[in-house]
Amino acid sequence: MIDALVQALINGVIAGTILAVPAIGFSAIFAVLNYPNFTIGSLAAAGAYAGYLANTQLGWPLALALGAAFAGAAVVGVAHEWAAVRPLQKAGALIMAIASLAGGIVVENLLRFAFGNEQRGYELPLARDIVFAEVYRIGPQQMKNFAMALGIMAAIWAFLRWTRTGRSMRAVADNRDLARLRGIDPERVAVVTVAVGAGLAGFGGMLIGLDTTLEPFMGQRLLLSIFAAAVLGGLGSIPGAVAGALLIGVVEEVSVLFINPAYKSAVAFAAILLVLTFRPAGLFGTRQG
Amino acid sequence: MTIQQRRRTLIQGASALAAGALFAPAFVRAQANAPIKLGTLTPLTGAGGPYGPVMANTVKAVVDTVNAAGGVRGRRVELVSEDDQTNPEAGVRAARKLIDVDKVSAIMGTWASSVTTAVAPLCWESKTFLCTVSGADSITQLPHQGYLVRTQPNTTLQGRKFGEFALELGAKRVFYMSPQTPFTQSVFANIKAALEKGGATAELLIYDDKKPSLRTEVDQALRFRPDLIFMGGYAPDTTVLVKDVFRANFRGKLLTLGYAVNQRVAEANPEATEGVYTMAPSPAEGSGAFKRVAEIVKNANPDPYSCQVYDHVSMVLMAIAQGRDSSGAAIRENIRKVSQGGGRAVDNAVDGIRAIVAGEKVDYNGASGPCDFTDIGDILDCKFRYEQARKGKIELIRVA
Amino acid sequence: MENYLVAMLVTAGIYALLAQSVTLAWGMTGLVNLGLAGFWAIGAYASALATQGGAVPVPVGLLLALAAGAVAGIVVTFSTLRLRDDYLAIVTLGFAEVVRLVAANEIWLTRGSDGISNIPGHFARTPTFGFNLAWLAVVTVLVFAVWWALRRLAAAPWGRALRSIREDQTVASVAGKPVVRMKAEAFAISAAIAGLAGALYGHYSSYIAPDLFQPLVTIYVFLAVTAGGNGRATGAVVGAYLLIAFLEGTRFVADAVPGVTPLQAAALREMAVGVALILVLRLRPQGLFPERNQRAPSGAAPLESSR
Repeated sequence: MIDALVQALINGVIAGTILAVPAIGFSAIFAVLNYPNFTIGSLAAAGAYAGYLANTQLGWPLALALGAAFAGAAVVGVAHEWAAVRPLQKAGALIMAIASLAGGIVVENLLRFAFGNEQRGYELPLARDIVFAEVYRIGPQQMKNFAMALGIMAAIWAFLRWTRTGRSMRAVADNRDLARLRGIDPERVAVVTVAVGAGLAGFGGMLIGLDTTLEPFMGQRLLLSIFAAAVLGGLGSIPGAVAGALLIGVVEEVSVLFINPAYKSAVAFAAILLVLTFRPAGLFGTRQG
Repeated sequence: MTIQQRRRTLIQGASALAAGALFAPAFVRAQANAPIKLGTLTPLTGAGGPYGPVMANTVKAVVDTVNAAGGVRGRRVELVSEDDQTNPEAGVRAARKLIDVDKVSAIMGTWASSVTTAVAPLCWESKTFLCTVSGADSITQLPHQGYLVRTQPNTTLQGRKFGEFALELGAKRVFYMSPQTPFTQSVFANIKAALEKGGATAELLIYDDKKPSLRTEVDQALRFRPDLIFMGGYAPDTTVLVKDVFRANFRGKLLTLGYAVNQRVAEANPEATEGVYTMAPSPAEGSGAFKRVAEIVKNANPDPYSCQVYDHVSMVLMAIAQGRDSSGAAIRENIRKVSQGGGRAVDNAVDGIRAIVAGEKVDYNGASGPCDFTDIGDILDCKFRYEQARKGKIELIRVA
Repeated sequence: MENYLVAMLVTAGIYALLAQSVTLAWGMTGLVNLGLAGFWAIGAYASALATQGGAVPVPVGLLLALAAGAVAGIVVTFSTLRLRDDYLAIVTLGFAEVVRLVAANEIWLTRGSDGISNIPGHFARTPTFGFNLAWLAVVTVLVFAVWWALRRLAAAPWGRALRSIREDQTVASVAGKPVVRMKAEAFAISAAIAGLAGALYGHYSSYIAPDLFQPLVTIYVFLAVTAGGNGRATGAVVGAYLLIAFLEGTRFVADAVPGVTPLQAAALREMAVGVALILVLRLRPQGLFPERNQRAPSGAAPLESSR
């Protein structure tokens, strides 16, 4: 039983890690731009397809293809933001959120128009799990994912802490008007934020595509989980997004041992409700209403 | 009247009739040449998206071939393809448009069981013929008055065949993993019964097909120490499952449906699908219809669904030729006259129509099986294709 | 063609009820109900199961759906009493997911993913056109009734209090409004309307299944309400009818676009919905029927000068 629990924990961390990277992107956009960007699922899919093109058409290996995924999603994200969402700033966060929902539908169907619905796969090898301590197994690709998620988190943290643009982002997130007074251009910061947030979604989307399957509908499947992870961790908190994703992953995988696996999602939402009841702003949330 | 007078009257009457027919109002003649309208309703978007487009394109290809050969008794066939978005609400709106605006005589290809069940009442109420590939047994139990045929074998037949094949592969402990679908419970019950007859055991696990990871579910499966895992889902979730099973180092056998690991899935995931066995309803070996579908979809191993819709449209067109009437009621009356009951064996619509026009009785043998239907629209029996994925290609083991 | 048009008007009416449900909760009270599909489902299943085999007449089934929706709404609000309203969104999302999972997996209760067929339609189903017309009358009357009721409520003190809660809960509370109770009331009524819409759909179409209650429907309704103008029942109703007109109209346009495969045509249609919303919002960010500024009621006492 203990063995099963530990393995489920390991599986949960792995599953959560996949979701963590797009969740970071979602929270980053919320922190600086103050609205939930529901295009994030389709941006993850867009990145996955960009990486697919780089991998299969240009023959790029994993690392470069991931870079292409980041870049591709960033471009689409920024274009979408400027076409659909920015003009609605005065109408408020919820209207912007609805617009991003509509934008997500547009992006998903652009992918469908261009690529069709057939499932596609990357030309990258699939590895079996490594077994350690005789009973536990972990996948080499999954360990790389975990490392990459941590690395990205560290990079984002360093970027926010030490670079000028990063500090500007934090300033705008804290207090827009004060930031403007200090000479920071919120529009420029917004571009960078969306580019980074969307890029992270695309990066994560390709990681997910590697583990699962690549088709236009994948964005819609991911949206709910990404949003849930970000809310659980505290909307706008980057470490929160990672913590939220990992917690949901662990809760879901462990629950399989005890209840009907078909109800996995229900358990995740129950966990979210529980956490929010005791910590109404989420695990790491600090923002006021 | 004398005999001569009667004969003269008769001849005059007959001439008048003939003249009248020759100079009959144009619209009466035009009706006889009005195009035949058919519709496809398949999932082009949504969860069933991987399947819908190929199905619609296959039907279009057959319609184009028939039109190129002169249509059905000189009448052109027009096809309208709508998207049901894998959602009964959208499917019903699309069906309403096909029936009331496009006035199609038949709707073909409905895939999701919930869409088929939602659309069926619209069809039988409006006397539109419905051909479906859906799996739920409850579909043919609906009061459809003969306006529905299903080319997918029912769960009793499928379950038994799967169980028997698993026994043949030497399985003693079978673990069945599937999302919750209308036929999951029934197929499992039938597999289990067949396996128990052969001294094997089986267990079931239902998983959520929207998740990107099924590792712990696979762990649960492996705890049962199965020698064969049966995967009952569709292509997107089976791809995830088959990868997680590979990663878990499972060395036993894997068995699934032909549409879950089809040629595209095998190509995209050669390592994970290596050695996976698949089963699909099938015609006899060397079937001409099967070869034609392979040409249409440009794939030596076409999806079971593509084969089924090929049969849908072929049978509908031949039924129209047989009945000299393109209404849904006429298709209902005549479909079994062209699909079964002996006669010249045909495997495509063009040959079938030609034979029917020449006055012959035909018996269609399709790409998905012999296409002989019971009164409630289920297929009587069919063979199965047993295939295996090797190095990213689906290869035939046998047809039986 | 007439049959199709009538059927689309019935469907649009059901969407109009869903849209008004969203307007009451979100537009008037500031509560984001992303679990709309869940309440829709509860009403549909409640009425379908109760009227099985004629056990209970259809009108009673509709009342049961209203009640079931209201109860579900109260349960959801109670579990979120301590939460900020931002988080109501995620809770309602989870609620809709749970409802869908229960509907699909608890076969003994809901017939599982097979769905419930043969739901009584109260009127004779043939001739189809007559049946559709009868339901068009029923649904349109109900849409109108809800519209009228929401407008009255919006102008009444209750509605004004809801708006004050929407703008700033703390101020409203300090001003003496029973915030928690009013939020629960508004949400419960909103959920009841959604439940009624579900029951109407079930009886009209004779079949419900878990596949119906997908997030896409909630998304469409939110798009409709936003385009029509959040905060006013008129906006919701107009938005819903425009949504269906658009969803159906694009079919005919897509048919006319040359050289695209059926798949590409379907993708274009879906894209068009998203693009249309974005365009409407660019031109009128508050929607087609924005909320009018409320004036203070006349006859307000002048500020007391210190005495």
